[in-house]
Amino acid sequence: MDFEPNDNQTAILDGLEQLITSLRIETPKEGETQVFSEALDAELATSGYLDIAREEDFTVLDAALVVERIARLPVTAEVTNSMIVAPLFPAGEVDRPLALVQGSPLAPARFLPHAKSLLVDRGDDLLLVKVDPARVEPVESLFAYPYGKLDSVDGLETRSLGAAMLAPLRRRWRLGMAVEAAGLMQSALETVLEHVKSRHQFGRPLGSFQAVQHRLAMASATAHAVRWLAFRAAWSDAEEDCAIAATYVQDSIVTFCYDLHQFCGAMGLTLEFPLHFWTYRLKAMLGELGGGSKQARAASTLTWSAAA
Amino acid sequence: MEFGWSEEEKAYRSRVRGILEDNLPANWDEIAVHGPGSELQTDFSRDFCKLLAAEGLLIPHWPSTHGGADGQPWDHFILGEEIWAAGEPRGPQYMNVNWIGPVLMRYATPEQQQKYLPPIVAGDVIWCQGFSEPSSGSDLASLRTKAERVDGGYIVNGAKVWTSYARLADYCFLLTRTSAGKSGIAILLVDMKNSPGIQVKQIPALIGEGDIHEVFFTDVFVPEENRLGAEGQAWEIISYALQNERIGIPRYEFARRTLDRAVAMLKAEGRFDDPILQDRAGRVLAKCEAARMMVYKVVDERAKSAPASAFGNLARFTVLQADHAVSDFMLEYMPAGMLGDDPMQQAHHQRAIAAGIASGAAEIQLNLAARRFLDLPSENTRGL
Repeated sequence: MDFEPNDNQTAILDGLEQLITSLRIETPKEGETQVFSEALDAELATSGYLDIAREEDFTVLDAALVVERIARLPVTAEVTNSMIVAPLFPAGEVDRPLALVQGSPLAPARFLPHAKSLLVDRGDDLLLVKVDPARVEPVESLFAYPYGKLDSVDGLETRSLGAAMLAPLRRRWRLGMAVEAAGLMQSALETVLEHVKSRHQFGRPLGSFQAVQHRLAMASATAHAVRWLAFRAAWSDAEEDCAIAATYVQDSIVTFCYDLHQFCGAMGLTLEFPLHFWTYRLKAMLGELGGGSKQARAASTLTWSAAA
Repeated sequence: MEFGWSEEEKAYRSRVRGILEDNLPANWDEIAVHGPGSELQTDFSRDFCKLLAAEGLLIPHWPSTHGGADGQPWDHFILGEEIWAAGEPRGPQYMNVNWIGPVLMRYATPEQQQKYLPPIVAGDVIWCQGFSEPSSGSDLASLRTKAERVDGGYIVNGAKVWTSYARLADYCFLLTRTSAGKSGIAILLVDMKNSPGIQVKQIPALIGEGDIHEVFFTDVFVPEENRLGAEGQAWEIISYALQNERIGIPRYEFARRTLDRAVAMLKAEGRFDDPILQDRAGRVLAKCEAARMMVYKVVDERAKSAPASAFGNLARFTVLQADHAVSDFMLEYMPAGMLGDDPMQQAHHQRAIAAGIASGAAEIQLNLAARRFLDLPSENTRGL
């Protein structure tokens, strides 16, 4: 067991850091709730990072490290689905950017305004829809992802990928959610820690009050637990581990986000303060794949299916 | 980065399991149900620890210079997981091997090491820790038990409370006050069997038979050679001891196995098809595994000889969340277990309710994590 990146992983992360630095990514301006960085998305695609999990010398965990790092940025790119979910399918079968949705293909989906493909978990079948951007209606929301929905699937190329692919899809969907949440929680927490150290009330920094300290320490425990559950799941790529990690994430989001916003007061409710770029991606995840109860039940049945 | 066990680690775990299966008696559950501090389990530990010692499994993580096998921290945790989850047949002696021995190795004089370490190595000695006092719990530095210097040693007067294993202990790792402030604390290694003036009173408690006590010291003479370290060094020694104690018990493993057992019982009763039970059990499972990964991160740091950080305090907090979650799940869905149907459920509950209090209250863990890990300002900070 080793919790430190190996040489390969260190090289990946160092290169990624250089790429991020070269793009000079800045915190989006006041007034925006979601920022999709075309430049980041394109650079990650052309530099080969998004295909890491398909490469012989690399692993799903290596891809997860990239996803976690990108999630810490205040801007988004379609990374998680491309790096974690798409490699389940032969190269060229599912074009990126990729959006995922459960139930109806007409439901709002993250990244759909930029997507070339939509995978639909229909419950008894996995449907691939080739997305025509002209058929996507953007959906405005507080969630810090670009959302969109199809006007209909009439006239769009659709194909069944088979019910057998549903379990792998859900496994990687849960994994992607957990890994991304690890990065989101880290940045959200750092933003609030900086605030409570510099903001003074009653002649003291907010962060010196024990009522604040305890809940931030608990938030930190949550963020770290998410991180290590997610990376373990990426390492094993086992259904059980992925479901456990996603359960923990969805079970934690409400308290985590509530506390972090609470300690920023009204400032935390403004679009000027960047916290929402991470917390409103976490909140968007709360309802993914049917919500926490679905993941918890999946974790239960996967873990104890063979038990007496 | 990888999260698997090596073949050697798997073989080691298998060996420990085999020894437990071969050597725990058929009525072990009837003994274990009373907890590590009970007379039954303490008696059992004296034979069992000798057996572990003979198998090289009592102190494998200790350095070979003190009778150990220079084992790796991971092996120590594998051993701890298997033994604690089996109901801790080492009884109170888990404390000896986890932190009392390591503290003595680091801070005791050669003469003290010669006196105190061999009985621990042989698995034949019971220690208790004299830390908390009636007016000094989480605020340990406010302790008042007085050690007055006299010719050849100290005269100790005062009282300790919540002291586990005191009634059966051979020695006490006693914190005493010699003068004001943190620098005025001295650690005395007190012979509990042969020191006139010590009175031990058992405290009936929710957490099990014989587990906690009051210990009264009235004009107890302790020779100077029984002081551990210098008088001003005690706080450093205590901090080191607590680092070892906080995550020393793999509670997450017992919690997880108790949850597995609960689910097996629910399945046998035909109740686990209920989606509500599956939901709740899945969330509790996630807490157990979160605690496991947090503790493993600390073990990884130890394995790499990294300086101890306050991450251990965060890990400890997730451990108590897991322990409580398992206990609460069973209280809600399997209440008959607490009404005589399942003594092992009650045994887990009794350990779980102490998880947020023993080894430093949960709030102390959060204080330390906030200050030392998150670098948040002290309560005394004044600014604008």
